[in-house]
Amino acid sequence: MARHKDRREALHIIGAIGSTCAFPFSSDQLFAQHQHPAGTPAPAAAPAAPVSFNAAEFAILSRMADLIIPATDSPGALAAGVPAYIDLVAQRNSEAKRLCVAGTAWLDRQSKKKHGKSFLDLAEAEQVDLLTPLCREADQQRETPPGSELKKSRRPALPVAFFRTVKSLTSDGFFTSQAGLVDTLRYPGNSVHAAFPECIHEH
Amino acid sequence: MIVGSGAAGGTLAAHLAHAGADVAVVEGGPRINTRTDFNTHALPHHFPNRHIPTMKPGKPGFDSERSRGIGGKTLTWNAVAWRYSQRDFKGKAFEGAGEDWPIDYKDIEPYYTAIEREVGVCGNRDGLPDLPDGDFLPPVPMKCTDMTIKKAAEKLGVRVIHVRKATLSRPQGGRPACHFCGNCMAGCDVVAKYNSADVHLAPAMRTGRLTMLPNSIVREVVVNAENRVTGVRYLDHDTLKEGEAQGRVVVVSCACVQSVALLMMSRSSRYPTGLGNSSGQLGKHFIPHFTNGVQCFLTDYIGRPVTNDEGFLDHAYIPSFMHDRKRDYARSFGVQFNYQNRRSVGWARGVPGFGKDFKKAVIDRYPAFVTMSPYGEMIPNPKSFIDLDWKTKDSFGLPRARRNVHYSDNDWKIFHDMTRWVTEIVKTAGAEILATGEAPRTNHELGGARMGNDPKSSVVNGWCQSHDVKNLFVVDGSVFPSASEKNPTHTIMALAARTADYISTQLKKGDV
Repeated sequence: MARHKDRREALHIIGAIGSTCAFPFSSDQLFAQHQHPAGTPAPAAAPAAPVSFNAAEFAILSRMADLIIPATDSPGALAAGVPAYIDLVAQRNSEAKRLCVAGTAWLDRQSKKKHGKSFLDLAEAEQVDLLTPLCREADQQRETPPGSELKKSRRPALPVAFFRTVKSLTSDGFFTSQAGLVDTLRYPGNSVHAAFPECIHEH
Repeated sequence: MIVGSGAAGGTLAAHLAHAGADVAVVEGGPRINTRTDFNTHALPHHFPNRHIPTMKPGKPGFDSERSRGIGGKTLTWNAVAWRYSQRDFKGKAFEGAGEDWPIDYKDIEPYYTAIEREVGVCGNRDGLPDLPDGDFLPPVPMKCTDMTIKKAAEKLGVRVIHVRKATLSRPQGGRPACHFCGNCMAGCDVVAKYNSADVHLAPAMRTGRLTMLPNSIVREVVVNAENRVTGVRYLDHDTLKEGEAQGRVVVVSCACVQSVALLMMSRSSRYPTGLGNSSGQLGKHFIPHFTNGVQCFLTDYIGRPVTNDEGFLDHAYIPSFMHDRKRDYARSFGVQFNYQNRRSVGWARGVPGFGKDFKKAVIDRYPAFVTMSPYGEMIPNPKSFIDLDWKTKDSFGLPRARRNVHYSDNDWKIFHDMTRWVTEIVKTAGAEILATGEAPRTNHELGGARMGNDPKSSVVNGWCQSHDVKNLFVVDGSVFPSASEKNPTHTIMALAARTADYISTQLKKGDV
């Protein structure tokens, strides 16, 4: 692996340190190099019963979280405790709670209208089919260029706003968890390096 | 007597104490042990709501916008340390916009050098006219992703340099070199990154001439019938009990907006609109930097293994390059970039789709995520000012300071141009753009008590000394008459060192 030629030039060090320090430290001020302790244990699991939602609402939200970030060769939203996280956020964010309560009811009505049964009783493919148009519209609105007419004129309808909220909370809850951040993404930071590793790629 | 213990207050206190003056520092917040009190190495899932509080449980201080605590904002800053150039100090002379400083680069140059030696600033000597070199420790290598952006920028004729930071790249003065854990702004717990409490104040304590008054929220600087300030009145942070302290000289250094607010609260029959405000200029010319964010994924890195490039956040910088180019606005911008921390994955919610494909898309993009943050210089305008809302009191019963910000036509032109430039650079680097900010956000509060030669149009003189009251000084971002596009803290520290020299000389002469 060759190092880019400019790299050495860029690193050519001309800066010089002044030989005197106006405020020398005595030895009691010495901050020794340290090793970072292992992370503190995760807090105790949240109680099984949700606070913000009834059992039916919570079951739909949990299923949606599972569909949004499923377990694959790495853990998914359920293993990461995302439903409890959504419940916690909804305790402090009344708009998120409102969207989740109204949205789960809407989704179940929609499911009965189309398939004659509750959302939770549908096959996975049918559940995905119900959510896909909501996701598509949410993505389109996000991609709308800033300041465009569409963005100004349209507030997302409840189903789209509901989906976006559940997806956002699922994403936030999962990628901040041990399962998501460490076990899935392999967060590499928070460690001690004697020197910053130099880039060894060809650029 | 110094109000505030951050970059300005800490530097002043240390320099004055070492010069032989007896100094008291009055600070609104508690003592903080940088070794033990911050949640430096916590991860979000240690907390049920996934929000990492700044302080460990039961440790007081700092979870307020005022950053109260000994060390002030230097405890959680990102440590970027630029010298301003002659063009920054004389923008009006160069371009006819804004206001000139009453001092020249050569007046402050020795103090920049002194600060660099004291605090340790790493960086490369790049030989740029608008970004003077200094007495630097070796620079830290750029990240791989920086190299990709550098190559793209160079195609467009734009230079990318090593960042310069008050963070040690090798041990100095009992402090270790940075070990690149990536948590600088959560509070560096080994003091590889400069903070005023450990680097300036703690050593100054050993002179025996420094007294600290923590947890004391100053609500008034007292002026007597002879037009001299005599000291301060403060409230105990916890009991709200009133206290008073006297000093021969009072320096207000409690961070731009709070310094202006304190002077406005210090009303008297001689100064009905605020202490030292005979000019009527106090609070005016508020010129914070404005910034924008462009979030993107560098396609070269999508799907690659994650490497640890947390480093000390940003390692590279795009210095102002528009001064020499044709444009339809005055002043310029610089670009900080790649200073996101990989424990924050808030961008993932913006990745399209759901299900397995969504999850894979996020995993693949994790090593490729980069944020570009250009910073522009605001030109002073009459609609941008600081004032007090006497009707709304904070938890200490003090009126709230209001930040009134209005962007002028020139500011908007810079905003759009800097957004366009960073977008062009990352597109040239082969990036997927995820999101672009639509409106400016402020950072680096500056102005409100500007310095100048004319007592009618400025609050303090070139020594940061009140035009009205000889033994009153104001030293922090509030005295900046123009903002530059560069992070201001190095200049605040250099001004503090220069003012300390002046005060110490005047004290010896008996002139203050």
